[in-house]
This record gives sequence, structure tokens and C-alpha cells, in this order.
Amino acid sequence: MNPIKTFVPIIQGLKITLGHLFKKPVTLQYPDERPKVAARYRGLHALNVSHNKAKCVACYLCPTVCPAKCITVEAGEDANHDKYAAVYEIDMLRCIFCGYCVEACPVDAIRMTGEFELANYSRKDFVYSKERLLEKK
Amino acid sequence: MVNLTIDDKQVTAPKTATIYDAAKLNGIKIPILCHDKKLKPFGACRMCLVEVEQMKGRQIPACTTPVTEGMIIRTSTPDIVKARKMVLELLLLNHPIDCPVCDKAGDCDLQNLTYEYKVDANRFTDEKFHLEIDYTNPLIERDMNRCVLCGKCARICDEIVSFGALTFIDRGIETKIGCEFEEALNCEFCGSCVSVCPVGSLLARPFKFKARFWSLTKQKSVCGYCGTGCNLTLGVKDNKVLTTIYDENQGFHNGQLCVRGRFGYQFINSDKRLTKPLIRKNQNLVEVGWDEALEVVAGRLRDSGAASAALATARLTNEELLLFKQLMESVGSNNYDHSAGYAHAALTEGFAGSFGISASPSTILDIQKSDLLLVIKTDAYETHPVVGFEINMAVKNKGVQLKILSDKTGKLSKLPDAKTLVHTPGSEIAIINSLAKVIIDNKLGDASAVSLPGYADLEKSLADFTPEAVSAQCGLSADDIKLLASDYAKAEKALILFPVGQAYPGHTAALANAVANLALLAGKLGKEGSGVLCLSEKNNSQGAVDMGFHAAGGGLNAGQILDGCATGSIKTLLIAGENPLVSYPDHAKVKAALDKVEFLVVSEMFMTETAAMADVVLPVCSFAEKEGTFTATDRRVQHIKPAIKKIGQSRSDFEIFGSLIAKMGGVSSAAPAVVFAEIAASTPGYESMSYVSLGDEGLFASVDVKPVFVVPQTSAAKAESGKLALVTGSVLYHNGTLSQYGEGPMHVCPEGYVELSRADAAAMKFVENDLLTISSANGSMKLKARITPRMPQGVVFAPYHFGANPVNQVWNGAPVTWVTLAK
Repeated sequence: MNPIKTFVPIIQGLKITLGHLFKKPVTLQYPDERPKVAARYRGLHALNVSHNKAKCVACYLCPTVCPAKCITVEAGEDANHDKYAAVYEIDMLRCIFCGYCVEACPVDAIRMTGEFELANYSRKDFVYSKERLLEKK
Repeated sequence: MVNLTIDDKQVTAPKTATIYDAAKLNGIKIPILCHDKKLKPFGACRMCLVEVEQMKGRQIPACTTPVTEGMIIRTSTPDIVKARKMVLELLLLNHPIDCPVCDKAGDCDLQNLTYEYKVDANRFTDEKFHLEIDYTNPLIERDMNRCVLCGKCARICDEIVSFGALTFIDRGIETKIGCEFEEALNCEFCGSCVSVCPVGSLLARPFKFKARFWSLTKQKSVCGYCGTGCNLTLGVKDNKVLTTIYDENQGFHNGQLCVRGRFGYQFINSDKRLTKPLIRKNQNLVEVGWDEALEVVAGRLRDSGAASAALATARLTNEELLLFKQLMESVGSNNYDHSAGYAHAALTEGFAGSFGISASPSTILDIQKSDLLLVIKTDAYETHPVVGFEINMAVKNKGVQLKILSDKTGKLSKLPDAKTLVHTPGSEIAIINSLAKVIIDNKLGDASAVSLPGYADLEKSLADFTPEAVSAQCGLSADDIKLLASDYAKAEKALILFPVGQAYPGHTAALANAVANLALLAGKLGKEGSGVLCLSEKNNSQGAVDMGFHAAGGGLNAGQILDGCATGSIKTLLIAGENPLVSYPDHAKVKAALDKVEFLVVSEMFMTETAAMADVVLPVCSFAEKEGTFTATDRRVQHIKPAIKKIGQSRSDFEIFGSLIAKMGGVSSAAPAVVFAEIAASTPGYESMSYVSLGDEGLFASVDVKPVFVVPQTSAAKAESGKLALVTGSVLYHNGTLSQYGEGPMHVCPEGYVELSRADAAAMKFVENDLLTISSANGSMKLKARITPRMPQGVVFAPYHFGANPVNQVWNGAPVTWVTLAK
């Protein structure tokens, strides 16, 4: 047995461990500590608002492009005969957070937020209605 | 044929073709916005520019340039692509780019071309239009800001529909499509303009924002309203029929539809549809399971045996009608009939006697090939609008002469050079006989007619029908009759058309015989573009006749069945889809009969007036949910496939009759295809047909005519002095009672009315929309007045479709009902 071959790697390894003792820890003490989410992070969707109503015009491009088929839109006609989303639902259990809906949107009505805490107790609570998706001021 | 070169490809094309046609014929695509194959070339959009070498490489429009021998054409040189891009840029200069909210997106020619030619920027700038958008119309939304002025809507409305509601108004940059004096759209609402619009300027309002074009499943089907047999493409999403989609290559009519076909589909997914079987318990209809309902019905049928009877609507498929007949036979009853028992008499008694076959010898395709059309009643347009379009095109494009015998003028009377002879109501048979008399007396006819059986009897029977004698009772002059007879006889090819239906009790077997005699005398049978065509009312009226679902072999007809119910000799009555309380003559009598009958079973889609009286109501599905065949009025047999799954627990009549046959101890066929094989084997003319051979286009069942002369039974209508002659009929927007459940037809024509002449209205001081009490010997009812210039004095018209105010309260089935009107 060659002692050099045996102990040198162990010592080298311990050196790294020792070095980390004096560095800032990587582990985040979640939920006491909160992560800093990147600007381009693809979390929960939000429907953008303009002039006190959702910007969405119910063009159906997001449900069309959605690879997981998790978006349900039903268009309605408002008092000015304009098109709006009477129903806008995203089933987060099916969503794969690919962000195609944001890319497809011709009117910048949907974006993805840094919100990632989506756990819930029942399946139906994972279906986000339009009210829940509207951006919070 | 001429030879030419398109894009280095040697091709041939007919002499009359344009460059665009020639290219299309040979699979070369030229982009275009303003062309539809049904319309005349127009050359508005300049997208179809091509280069022709002989024209020194100038760019010329392909759609208006006829081909010539040896032409060398290039369709996509860099110069042409550049020019087309510029055309698109100029169009997009004023076109709002609101594709996300425009329902046309996905099906938009302008959008597709913009994408194809990669026009993603615009060199020019200009302001968009800010024209007012017409949201008020319930069926057609007009947003002229999107218009590219291709003129297709105006042209189809003029060339095919012959209404002319839309036209170019204003000049220069302000040119737009609109109605006269910029008024609201008030037309036939056939939606032809919507169907051809290449952009989102004209949109179907009932479909507004319902779905995007690309998410629809397109399912081919056959219209379930009238007997024309138009093909439809249903747009389906989430088991709902959301719209009808235009396909210019579909059917003999090239995708052309009427208001009912295009906008009357909502009954399929109506909230009012019945979804569960109902049984009357303690005076109330309560929901039960299918087993219980069918067991009760089967038990009653077993008990009643020969005292059972059946009435079916001619909207059932051939397969269902055959099964229904087999069910009744297995019960031991031959009492079955359809369409009130008289609406099919022109075929089952009239043509059966004259031609030896219960079918019209001519087809709808003969209309445009004819030289002269003799239409009996202008109502032919209202009952069969797409046949009406064929007449329009024949008259306007082919120069076919149009002669009309009618008790009122109508849409057809307005066609160029149309000659309408307005006679007193109920005298059409006498006039036709008189025409025959003139042809015989003046030797205008076909010499070989003399040798046909029955000629001598006919000649003798016509002795009283001299034009002079007939003119006294019919209100036409003897000269008019003589002129019409000679015009008809002298035309090389002449076709007679007449509608039949529950609202046309005067169009009987005798009329069919008289018409057949006239055609035979003049030698107008057996030639293309000649003959007679009986326009049957419902989508499968001809099929019901072919399946033999009418009184024969000692069975009772519809009228006798209802009498039997009233006297108690009929104990169980099965009604499939009919609504006799509204559509059969004499409301009180029908109501008494249905009240009296021991057990009434109704299989229906909706809780109709008749279904509400039933002991058992079985929910059935619509044509869009089942498989089978329909036979159109000219014996075109067409196959329909389910477009959506059955609504609720509803079953097809096919399944219901099959289950009942099984419960009666018979063997029922499992699939419509098997029953159709049975039909093909046993029905004359249907030989060798199968679902596969029918394909998308359908096949004509052959008609083997063995002509004889049959003396028509005539009875002169007795006028009652001081009273008005009420004639019933169909209105353009409705067909039978089913269209009441289609939103489109109900938007345009929501209720019954009585139409009267201006002279009568002035004399009695009625104004439009007055609520009039209309009284006859049969009863009285209230209807709104509609005053029109088309009614002759002394004649009033009322459509029969409406359950809310059924005209059968005053009408007892006579061709002419004598009524009085009061405010």
C-alpha cells in the first residue's frame, strides 16, 4: 500500500471541505430565507392589465400554441362589441411552464411571474381562473 | 381546347377559360382575392397579375384575360412577386391589422397572402378608415373598415341571389360596400356575401367570437331542412355545431346556401333539446330510463296490434323510415303515413299514375340547361331557395325564359323578362289543363303523344277547358293562356317546376297529373333540360316516398289515422318528429284526436306542442348526430355521417325502432349500413348503391318513366263573396316547424303574420303590424298584418310554421280558405 496514493486525495478533499467552512453557505434556509428569482424566470402566469381591464382580447393564440393544452379561453362580446376573455383558465397541473403563451400573445396580455409556490390541497385549486391570474397591483 | 404554356409547362384549357381558370385546371396556383368560381370575372384585386410573353411582358390580370393559342405565361417572376407585394402593402395600408379579434383570422385570404408573400412591413403610411360598424343585424355583421373592395359580396348578391342588397357606394378613396342610401341590411339573409368575403368585413354574427377557424373540425353533411339536398360543412368544436363553413367545391350548388342552411343550425345544440325519456305519470311528464320507456311503448304496441298507427316526419333517414315501417308491420298494422298524407300525393298518386314511378323525371341540374322554365307558384323560391338560385342563374346567365303561374307575385317575378301570370287562388289545375287544350287544338305538341295510352280520354276531358272558359274563372285573359301555351310548346327544352308541401294542399295529385300531361303533350320529357320537377318539402320527402312510408295496401292515411284516433279505432299512435298540432290542417280536429287517442308516443328533439300531449316522449337526435341517407327531391341519395356525439341520453330513431322491433320479437339490424344494403336491394333505382359508392356527392337513383295520360280530377274553387281568399304557404326563412328552433330563422322571421295587398289594407284601413283577427268557418285567430305590393287584391297569405300562432286554427286543409279580417 502506497501511503501517498491513499492519503493525498483524502487530504485534498478535506481541503475543499475546510475551505467551505469559511465561505458563505450555498444552502438557502427556505422558507425562512427567500430565493432571489431571476427576471426571466417562468413561474405562475399573470394577465396584464391596462385601463383597469385585462389586456387579453381572447385571440385564442395561447391555447392554440400551448403544447400541454392547459389553457381554456372563451371569448365574449362586451358592451362596446369588443372581444374579451369571458373565461380564461390555466390548469397548472398540466402546464409545463414553457412560456409559449407569452411568446404567442400578440397584445402582451400575459407574462410569467417569479411566483413558484404553487402547492395546493385539491386538484381544482390548481385551475387558475381569470380572477386569480389577473396581475396584482 | 387551346394549347398554352404556363410556367414552362405545356397545358391545354377550354377556349372559354381565362388564364386563371387554365392555371387552376392544371394545378398551378395564382393568388387572388376577388374571384369565386360561381361569379363572373371582375379583376378588382390585382393580385393575380401574370406576365404574358406575347404582350411584351406586361403584367396583366389572369382572372379577366381569356386564353389564346400559344400563350406563354409566367405566374411568379421576381417582378410579379414584387408587384403582388406592393398590392398587398397597399391593401394593408387601410386594412386594420386586428387579426387577433377578427373572426376571419385563419380563414382569411388577405392574411394568408400576407403571410405567403412575407409582407411584414409597409413602405407607405395612411390613416385607417373609421367607418361605422353595423352590429345591429342579428345575422350579418358588417365592418367596412376591413373591406378590400373585391366586390364579391355585391356580385354574389346580384348574380346568384338576385337580391342586390349590397353594392359599391360613394366614389374614389371613399368607395365602400353598403346598402342603398346607407340603410340597414334588410335582405334574404342567405349569408352568401358572408361566405365569399375574403376578409373579415362580413361575418356571421351568430358565430361571433365563438371559436377560431383552425380549432373547428369540418364535417361534411347534408342540410336537414328542405328537399333540395344541399351539402353543408359543419364547423364542430367540443361536441357543438358552431357554424356552417363555406366550401365552393361542395355539391351541385357550389357551397351556395340559403338562410336556413347557413344560419339555422342552432337547433342541433339548442338548450331546449330533450335529453331524457319522459313518461306521463299523474298528468305530468316525468323523466325515466330508456328501458322503462321502451318497455311501456312495446307493451302498448303489443296490446293495440292493428289498432296502432304511425306518423313520421320526412326528416328521418331512409334507414329509419324503413325500420319504422318494419316495426309497424311487426305490430300488425299498416297504418303509417307522413307529411299530413297529402303533401306527397303529387308523387305517390300523381306521378305514380302518369309516369309509373313516384318521382320526378327531371333533376335540379336540368334547370340551367333548359330554354324555358314554367314555375307554378312563386313560392318555389321560398320553399327551395337554392333551387331558386339555380333559376336566377339560368335566367340571368343563360337567358332561359321564365314563366310563372302564381296566385301572387314574388321574388321570381322580379327576374329579367320573367312573365308572371297571377291567377285566382286554386285555379292552377284548370289553367294547366287549358294550356294542354291549346296545345292539342293548335297542334303545337309532339305528334307521338297521340299514341300514348289515355290520350283519347284526356282529349275528351279537356273539352271544357278552352282558354275562354278557363279565363273566366282564373282571372287571366284567354290570350295570356294561349301565348303561354305556345311559348311552352315552342321552346326546344322546357321544364316545369312546382313545390309541394303541407302548406300547399292545392298542389295535389291532380296538379301533378295535369303538369305531366302538359309535358307529355308538348314532348318535353326525357330530354336534358326538359321535363317536370316536383319540389318536395322536406330533406327526405322523396326518400319517405321511396321507402313506401305512406298509406298503401288498405292502410289508413294521415287524415284517416287522426279520424281513427278521434273515433277510438286507433288506440296507440306513434309520432316520429311530426308536429301535427301545428303543421296539419284543422287545429281543433287534430287536438281532439290527440286528446282522444288512448296512448300517444312522440319521438322528438324538442318539447313541441304535440310532444306536450304525449304519454311517452322519446328524445331523439338530430341529423348531425346520426348516420343514414337522405334522398333529395330529384332523387339524389346522399350519405350523412355523425358530426357530433349524441346530446344527453338521446338516441336516433334508428336505435329506437330497432329496440322496439327486438322487443316485438323481431330481428333488428345493427347498423344503418346493413339496412341501406336492404334498401338498395329492394328499392327500384337504388340498385348497386352503398355508403361507399355514394361518396361525398351522392348518386341519383334512376327514374324509369312509363308515361300515360291521366285525366286530372278537378274541382273549381267556389268564391265566397265579401271574403278574402287565404292561401297558406312557406316563408323563405322557415321550413316545416323545425326551423323555429334555429336562431337564425327566428331572428329574421319570429312569428306568423298575414300578408295582404295594399288595396285591401287601404280599403279596410289596416296598417303594417296591426293585430288582425282572421276568421274562417273553422275558427279565428290573431295575426299581425304585413302589407306588401306582391299580393293581388282579395288574396291574403299566411305562413304555417309557427307553433305560437298556428294558422291551422283557421285553415282546414282546403287550397283556398275564405276568411274575413278585422282589427
